[in-house]
Parts: sequence; C-alpha cells; structure tokens
Amino acid sequence: MNAQYDPLQHSFCLISGAELWTFGPLSIYLLNQKCPRDQNVIMSTFRFEYRITFAYLIIGALWIIFSDRAIDAFIGDKDLLTNAQTYKGWFYVLITAVLFFLFLKKHLAQLRRTESELEKHRDKLQELVMEKTKDLDQAVKDLYMKNEVINRQNEELRQALKDLQDTQAQLIQSDKMASLGVLTAGVAHEINNPLNYIAGGVAGLRSVMQECNTQNERTDLFLDSINQGIERISSIVSGLNNFSRNTDKYDEACNINEILEHCLVIIDSQLTNSISVARNFSDKPLVIHGNVGQLHQVFINVLLNALQSIENKGTITITTSAENHAAVVKIGDTGSGIEEENMSKITDPFFTTKAPGEGTGLGLSITYNIVKRHKGSISFKSEPNTGTVVTIELPV
Amino acid sequence: MKPNVLCVDDEPVNLILFEANLNKKFNIITAHNAECGLDVLARNKDIRVIFSDMKMPGMNGIDFIANAKNISPQGNFYIMTGFEVTDEIQEAIDNKYISMYFKKPLNYMAISSEIERVLGQINT
Ligand SMILES: Nc1ncnc2c1ncn2[C@@H]1O[C@H](COP(=O)(O)OP(=O)(O)OP(=O)(O)O)[C@@H](O)[C@H]1O
Ligand SMILES: [Mg+2]
Repeated sequence: MNAQYDPLQHSFCLISGAELWTFGPLSIYLLNQKCPRDQNVIMSTFRFEYRITFAYLIIGALWIIFSDRAIDAFIGDKDLLTNAQTYKGWFYVLITAVLFFLFLKKHLAQLRRTESELEKHRDKLQELVMEKTKDLDQAVKDLYMKNEVINRQNEELRQALKDLQDTQAQLIQSDKMASLGVLTAGVAHEINNPLNYIAGGVAGLRSVMQECNTQNERTDLFLDSINQGIERISSIVSGLNNFSRNTDKYDEACNINEILEHCLVIIDSQLTNSISVARNFSDKPLVIHGNVGQLHQVFINVLLNALQSIENKGTITITTSAENHAAVVKIGDTGSGIEEENMSKITDPFFTTKAPGEGTGLGLSITYNIVKRHKGSISFKSEPNTGTVVTIELPV
Repeated sequence: MKPNVLCVDDEPVNLILFEANLNKKFNIITAHNAECGLDVLARNKDIRVIFSDMKMPGMNGIDFIANAKNISPQGNFYIMTGFEVTDEIQEAIDNKYISMYFKKPLNYMAISSEIERVLGQINT
C-alpha cells in the first residue's frame, strides 16, 4: 500500500524531466489515436474534452509513479537527484505545453475548418432557401392566378347555366306560342273570310237599298248593328292574331291600352263572375315602340297570375299612364300575395308555387326577358293575403 | 269607259262581292286563281290596278304579284288578307312590291277611294 501511495504524493509537488521521456510519446499516441471504432470504442465514444482529461490523468499518474522510480534507480547522489527532479518537472511542463499546443491547434483547426464549412454550407442553404422561397412565391402566385381563372370560369359556367335555363324556358314558351300562333292564325283566317262575306253583303245591300230608294232609318239601324258585330268579331280575331304574331322587330307601334283590351278578351273565358276587372286607362292613347306580339305575352302572363291568385272573389285593377317618356302599367289584384322569401325567385325560370300541371313557372321569366328587351322594367309589390301590384314601365 | 281592275281570289263569294260593291265605278275583272290572273294580265295590257288574296292554293298572293310584275311592270298591286300582316307582306311593302294591304273583312269604301287616288295619279 505504502509503496504505491508514496510516489503519488510526491508527484503533486514535482515532476521529474526524465518522466516525460518515457510517457511523452505514449501520451501523443494516445491523444492522436484514430483507431477504428471497434478497436478503441471507449476513446471514440467519449468526447474530446473527456479524452484529453483522461489521457492527461493517465499519463500524469504513470509519469509520477514510474519517473520517480527510474530516477531513484539510476541516481544515487542526493543533490543530483534534487536537480534531476527539478529538470524533470520543467521538462514535463514543457512537453505537455507543446503537446497541448499541437493537439489544440490540430483540434481547433479542424473545428475552424468545420465551422467555415458549416458557414459555407449555411450560406448555400440560405441561398437555396431563398431560391426555394422565390420558387414558392412564384408557385403561390401561379396558384393564385389559377384560382382566379377557375373562379372566373366558375362564374362563366354559372352564367352559361343561367342562360341555358333562360333559353330553355324561352324555347318551351315560344313552342307553346308557336303552336298557339299557328292555331289562332288559322282560326283568324277562317273567321275573317266568312266575315268578309257578311261585310261585303251588308255593303252591297246598303247600296242596293239606296238605288231602290228603300233605305230608311230602320234598315240603317239593322245594317249598322250588323256592321258593329262585324267590327267586334274582327277586333277579337285581330287580338288573337296579334298575341301569337311572331316577329322579332322592336319598332312596331304598340298601343298599350288596345293591347290590354285584346289581352282581356283572350283571358275572358277564365274570368269568372266573382272576379271583376277595373280599368283606369289613360285618356290619351299610350303608344310605344316595341314588339306587339311579345307585349301581348307580357300582359297575358301578368293578368293570368293575377286572376289565378284570386281564390274566390276579388278585383283586378289595371291602371295605365304616361310618365316621363314611359308608359306605366300597373296590374293589381286582391289575391293571395307573394311570400317574402319568394319575392326574389318569382322571375326565375321554372319557379312556381302552383301544383304540377297548373303552372310551369315560365310566365314571369318570359315576361321579365321581354320587358328587358324593350329596355323597360318590371317590379312587384306584394303583401301575403292582401294582394299584389305589378308595375311595368316601358320607354316610349 | 270605266277603268279595269283585276281581282284574284280563290273564293267565289269574295269575287262576287268585290265585283258587286265596286262595279259602279270600275270594270271589275275577276280570276279565281293566280294562273288565271296572269292570263288575264297578259291579254289586257291596260290593267293598272290589281288586287290579290294572300292565301290561295298553289301560288300565293306575293308569288302571283312577283310574276305579274313581269307582265305589267306599271301595275299597282294590293294584297287582301284574312291574317294580320305577316313578315312576307311587310317585306313586300318595304320593297314597294305592293302599295298597300287590305285586311278582311274588306272596307270597300276605302278600297274605292284608294283606286280612285292611284288612277288619278296615273292620269296626271
Ligand atoms: N299576382 C300574383 N299573386 C300571387 N303570386 C304570384 C303572382 N304573380 C306571380 N306569383 C308567384 O310567382 C310564381 C311564378 O309565376 P310565373 O308566372 O313565373 O309562373 P306560374 O304562374 O307559376 O306558371 P305559368 O305562368 O308558367 O303558368 C307563381 O307560382 C306565384 O307563386
Ligand atoms: Mg304565371
């Protein structure tokens, strides 16, 4: 125990120069050891600071133990021994300093290299990130633009769908009108011809009577009443004909009050006794430029809605007036009215609250389109269970 | 001598009435279809006023007038129709193919004064 303890205690005050001769190379070897991992697992698994401390401890300890023994063995003289021990200490310090210097230098060089490499790497990374960011920015911009395009296309599609629906509605309606047109035109022709017989006959009779001096007040009365009948029939037929007339001109002279009268004739069969019609027509004729046939459709649709909204008893009030370069037609009814939530939908094609078979939901969408084509406007004011007023304005 | 007026209509009653109501002032020549009408025009070059029904079997009124114009370019042509003005008639008026149209039932007074007006124009 003592034999081991002695040199250790001693080494704390002085380290002899010769000790380095023995352990210097070993320590360098140990510190610089770059063994494959499997051969020097402990050294490589420990970090640098542990390694250097560990190596220093071992080398120092071994040096203290063995250098003193070596000097004791070789040198007998006491003074010489003291001197040798001093040199040994200096030598040790010098060698360890050189070793530390070399080792630290190498290690730091490596560190610095790594650091500069790291820096370079970081710069590169930054550059890369910037580049990627730029790319990303571009990609985001592209995406945004694509999104915009898609949105626009969506909007276009929605519009196209609406147009299609409108066209479909128009086609159905014009199909209805066309067949009605063929029918009424045929009927009109068939009625007008025999009517021409009667009119011609009456005219002939009148001149014969004049020639034979048999004309008097009574014959005039009879002939006049026949003529009145002819006129009445002729105007109804002409109304029918107008309704179904199919031209796309918008510059025909349209006498609004006359057209309304025709429309009332056409829907007359559906006006029961419990529904009365009040006419507040303008005194002066209201004439605008437009399409006679289409305007008939407008008023027929609105009048039909009005009379269909009245369940039992009710009144339809038609008011016409001229207001700053426009003809204004108000068609009011005392019917069921329109629910608030339906107000925005009533001019949509195929929107109907009527039972299947009773309404197609096309009436107002067609009406709206025709009024638009005449550069006019249509508006609705309605109160559920009280009634509705439809106002149509058509510029002259 | 009364001036000649041609009336083309496929319905005999219409022809009879046209003649009966206008024969005091004019010499009415009638034809019961377009072909007969063209024949009459070819034989009587002095007919200046021609009335035609619109709807006739075979050639219609406008087609008849198109052919008749070749035979008597100076003629004044009128259409009588049981329909409203069709695009075809409107076009004929716009192109000055026909001077006017008359709707059935016919107003013979109006027809009579129109004939007098146009003949007066020709004579002066
Ligand atoms: N005067 C009115 N009073 C009450 N409701 C009305 C009136 N006018 C329109 N409406 C409502 O608007 C809806 C749409 O009207 P629109 O004329 O377009 O179609 P419809 O009358 O149902 O069918 P169609 O006209 O094709 O026969 C109707 O179903 C009805 O609910
Ligand atoms: Mg309707």
